[in-house]
Order: sequence, then structure tokens, then C-alpha cells
Amino acid sequence: MNQRLGVYICHCGGNISDTVDVDATLAAVANEPGVVVARTSMFTCSDATQEAIVHDIEQEHLDGMVVASCSPTLHTMTFRGVARRAGLNPYRYTQVNIREQCAWAHTGDRAGATRKAIRLVRAGIARARLTEALEPTVVQTVPRALVVGGGIAGLRAALGLASIGLGVVLVEREPELGGYVGQLGSLYPTGRSGGELIRELVEQVRRQPAITVHTAARLVAKAGTFGDFRVTIAVDQPPAGPGGPAGSDPAAAPPPSVRAQVGTIIVATGFTPATPELGAYGFGIEGVVTLPEFTRMVDAGPGPLTAGGRSVRAIAYIYCVGRRDPSAEGAGQGCAQYCCTATVHTALRVAGRDPDVRQYHLYRDLRTYGRYELLYDASRRQGSVYLRFAAEDPPRVSRDGASGRLAVAVSDRLEAGAAVEIPVDLVVLVTGMAPRPDPQLAEVLKVPVGRDGFFHEVHPKLRPVATVVDGVLVCGACQGPKGAGESVASALAAVGQTAALLKRGSAELDPQVAVVAAPRCTGCERCLAACPFGAIGLSPTAGGSVAVIDAAGCKGCGACVPTCPEGAIDLLGHTDQEVTAMIDALAGGTPA
Amino acid sequence: MTAVVGAELAEAVGRLGPFDAAACMNCGVCTAVCPMGIAWLPRRLQRAVVLGLEQEVVAATEPVYACLLCRLCEVSCPAGVHITENVRTLRRYLNRRVFGL
Repeated sequence: MNQRLGVYICHCGGNISDTVDVDATLAAVANEPGVVVARTSMFTCSDATQEAIVHDIEQEHLDGMVVASCSPTLHTMTFRGVARRAGLNPYRYTQVNIREQCAWAHTGDRAGATRKAIRLVRAGIARARLTEALEPTVVQTVPRALVVGGGIAGLRAALGLASIGLGVVLVEREPELGGYVGQLGSLYPTGRSGGELIRELVEQVRRQPAITVHTAARLVAKAGTFGDFRVTIAVDQPPAGPGGPAGSDPAAAPPPSVRAQVGTIIVATGFTPATPELGAYGFGIEGVVTLPEFTRMVDAGPGPLTAGGRSVRAIAYIYCVGRRDPSAEGAGQGCAQYCCTATVHTALRVAGRDPDVRQYHLYRDLRTYGRYELLYDASRRQGSVYLRFAAEDPPRVSRDGASGRLAVAVSDRLEAGAAVEIPVDLVVLVTGMAPRPDPQLAEVLKVPVGRDGFFHEVHPKLRPVATVVDGVLVCGACQGPKGAGESVASALAAVGQTAALLKRGSAELDPQVAVVAAPRCTGCERCLAACPFGAIGLSPTAGGSVAVIDAAGCKGCGACVPTCPEGAIDLLGHTDQEVTAMIDALAGGTPA
Repeated sequence: MTAVVGAELAEAVGRLGPFDAAACMNCGVCTAVCPMGIAWLPRRLQRAVVLGLEQEVVAATEPVYACLLCRLCEVSCPAGVHITENVRTLRRYLNRRVFGL
């Protein structure tokens, strides 16, 4: 038990002391058992106060410390660093949050906030008496990454990794690399051919000796942990053609599998183009096509556009089909981001080929964000006409039985809701991106799938390519709708993240993990089922087996702890003993 | 009565003189600054021409002639549309279409 504790209570300028009586809090806790130093300070995180704490630890031979200040998210690492600099094990530091939990939650109740602060600090001291020295788990990292998906994001990620000296295993489900962008004729804003761009990238990948490519292959198993994953890749047998081995039965032979050892896994499995429901906006009527179908028509050749054998003189584009619908399931709720710009870009290509084609854009909101606003400007100048409709009053597409004319009826909000009818030869439904469901991959990697069906990063802005699984990263359109440029940007972010994780050669992992007291374990396996990270295994013993927790795989979530009927599992840094002592200190003792 | 959208009106007007409202993004600044306070001028009028809503244009004959050609809208237009020029050309069209001149 730690007997020489330092306790520091912070004013946080006034953020805390305007509400909490800091001096009264100090007086109430200064004589707690084990406390040898107790001080207040204006800003505990300031350099001067940090140095004062270092001095206290060294002079007073402190074996534990408590800082009562702000959220642990903000400054745990700061004060662990202070402890480390003074030669105190960082895990003997305890942070108490009296800013968010007292000052900010109880503004206007000085007495109540102070009473709560005193109890929280007492609980922190009770824990600090029991904290133990922990050492980070050091893992050696393999200088190689697995990239799942050989579309534009996967290819750029593979090349980026190779260029910084990391090995790459690239796995593509289809028989050919290239993905969706490889099928596109013209990318905004440059007008470069997607097919050509992909061909160049594939050629670079093939020339790069550090990249091993497996096509017609799937990731089927993952073992190990961040820095040292062992993955199994199943390669589909090529269909036995006439020249194939005689008498071979492809069903009998299991697909050959390849094993690889990698430090990180980058998921870049892309998306699938959304298809409207039959009947929605006339989908199913001849002459009503989706944007991907239309761009293929435009890509097909330089001649005049035709539909049903007739020259196309007028086109209506209907935006946000099947998207931005609050009642929709999954991906239908959100904006697909790329499709406004892709449509406007395609309209410009049509106008460039034949300026006399009339183009009507029926939109709810137009988001050609960033510099792509220039494309929207250019399309208006080239004669595209924009009509705005309300979500609750969508355009109606019909084909007249007698005349055979296709027409779109819409109330134009820019014309005070005037009802107009637009005779057209072609209707283009702008449908956006849908997730590409891959339950097997999600299961193997344990990457969370969001309600929209896409793989989820930890935070879209702060940790945009990291997932909750250490060492498994996501990029490109598998994490949500993106244009090709944005997909490449996120692929390169995943490369940067991988470099940070692998280039040092080793990594330190948080030692606050669960441990099993083997003598008390009965091998009932309940904890195995509770672990969301697959970090618990069984180890045979003379009398049966006991659970063993892989320190590198454990995230310290604590899910296994309460499942153990023998109470044999403890979470280092948050042991039952520590938590019980904190509860006793919070609830017991004399009322403050 | 649902009006049918087409390019014919804009083409007919365009044959009589310069008429270019393609850059208009329907922000409505022109209508807001119009000293005559005529709601039809000039945003909706231009839009009716672009969409080909001839009946609406004809019905707006009086507002078109009420315009002072003061150019306040034109100097205020963020998209740089030559609104006064468009109104002049539209008057030429209405002279023929409505008054048979």
C-alpha cells in the first residue's frame, strides 16, 4: 500500500475555483491517511507547477499522486509524464475530475459542488493508496501491411506504403485490380479517365517488388494483435476451363490459402452504387436510368446520345433519389456527397459534346462543395437549368401511353412553387453510394459497421481512419460516400497512420489490461464469450484448462470481469480492490 | 394548368437581341433592391423566359414596362447578369407578341 501521497487541487484559472471552494477541499482531504503533500495551484498543468510536483516527488519520496483538476481525457498523459520524469511509475498517478463533474455540472451550487469535490478527491486518494506500478506491454511490429481491396484507395495505399519502405500484401476480391473507378470514363474535376488512371496505378503496383498481390482472394481469418497479425487469405480456384486438369473436381479441393504476417490491416473495400426502388421516380420506365448507367452512355462514344433509338435532345436529372430520407433505413438517411458534383461534371461533358441538348437539374439542395462550385457555375453558363423541389413534393416521372413522350412534372420552388412539366428524352436518377455488405470481413476483423451499413472510424475528424480495433484502419468509400479524390486522401492518411505505428519497429501498449488469477480459474469459458476482441484463450493444465488473456489483444474494457463466477479476473489499474476502496471513500466517512 | 417547359421562348427572345440569364443563381438580390418594388422584376421574369413559360411572361407585360432601367439590380447582381439588357430585349419581344408592333 502506498503511504506517501501527493495531492494537488487545481483552480483551473477560475473554471473550478469560481464554483468549488478549493481551499476547503484541500483542508478536508489534507489529513487523509497517507497524504504527505497537499497543495492547490492556479494552473496545475502549467510548466511551473509540473516542476514543483517533480520536486515534491523527489524530495518527499512520494509513491503515489492525485491531481484533482479537469477531465482525465485532457491531462492524464500530462501528469503521467510528470510522474515519469520524477522517477515515479506513471500508473501510480490518479486523476480526479472536479471541473466537468463539479464546477461545470453544479454552477450556482458552491456548497454542493464543494461537498462533491471533497468526496471525489477522497475516492481518488483511496485509489492512489492501492495503485501499483505497471509497465507497458512492448510488441515488436512487423514492417508490412495488409491492404484489403484493390480499388483506387487500396492501390494508392499500397503504393504509399511501399514508398515509405513497408511491405504490402494486397488482396482483391475480384479477378482484376481496379475497382469502381477503373470503370469510369471521366473523373471530376480534371476529366481524366478513371480507367487510364487505374491502369497506371496497377502497372506501378505490379512493378513494385514490395507489394504482393492476390486477386480473386478474400481475407478469411485473422489472429494475433496489432503489430503482429497473422492473416489467412483464401484464393479462389480459377474456373476449370477446357484446358484445365482432367478429372479435377473443384468442389472437392478446398481453396488454397495463403498466410501472411502483417503489422496493420487497411480496409479499402469500397462501396456499391445505390439502386432505386422499382417505381421510385419512374425507375423501371424506359428512358429512366441511374447516374452510373448514364455516365456509361456518355463514356460509350463521341457520337450523339441516343435513347431507345432516338436522339436525346432534353435530359432531366433528379437528385437525392433514395437519399436524405429520415424514414429510410441505413445509408438512405445521409447525403452521398459525391453525386451532385459527379452529375454536374457529366452535364458539362454532355454540353461540351452537343451544346443544344437541354439539361434540367431537379434538386433539393445542391452541394458541389469546395472548388467544385466552379463546375456548377460553368454548367449554368452552358445552359443547364436548375429547378428546386421540396422533399415532400418530389418530381413525378411518366411516359404517355399514346404519344410515348417521357415527361417530368415538378413544382419549382424557385418559381414560387409553380407546377411545370418538362418533356424530356431521358431521365437520370442521381442515386448515390450504398455500402457493400461484407459480413464475413466485418466478423473476421471485428470492425464495427454503423447504422448506415458502412465501416466506422473512431471519429470522423479526430481519428478519421482508425477503428476501435488497434492496427485495423479503414479508408476510402467503405467508410462512407466519398469522391475518388477524397478516397485517395483517406488512403494516404491510412498510410501515414501505418507509418506512425510500424516504422519504429516496436510499440508500447497500455498495461491496464485484464489478468486471470489462474489458481481460481475453473475453465468455464464464460469470459471467452464476453470478450469483444477475441483476446482470451484457453491454456491446458494438468487438471483441465484455464483462461489466458493476451495482454497485447486486451483493450482493458473490463467486459470479462463480471462474467467470472469465481471473481478470478481483475483489471490492472482498476482492480476490484481499488474500485471498492473508491466506493467506500465516496459513500462512507463523515459527511463533508 | 401546368405549364410546359421548353427552350423555344428563350430562343425566340434571343433572336431579337442579347438575353442571357444563364448565370442567374436565383438569389433574389435584384428583386430586393428594385425601387419599383415589383415582385416580378427581374428574377422571376428571367426565370420564366429561361424555363419557357410564355404565358407568365405575357402576363407580366405591365411590370416589364414599369421597369425604370435604373440598373440598380444590375450593379447589385453577384452573378454579373446584364439584367437591363435582358429587360430591353424582352420589351422587343413583347412589342411584337402583345402589341403586334
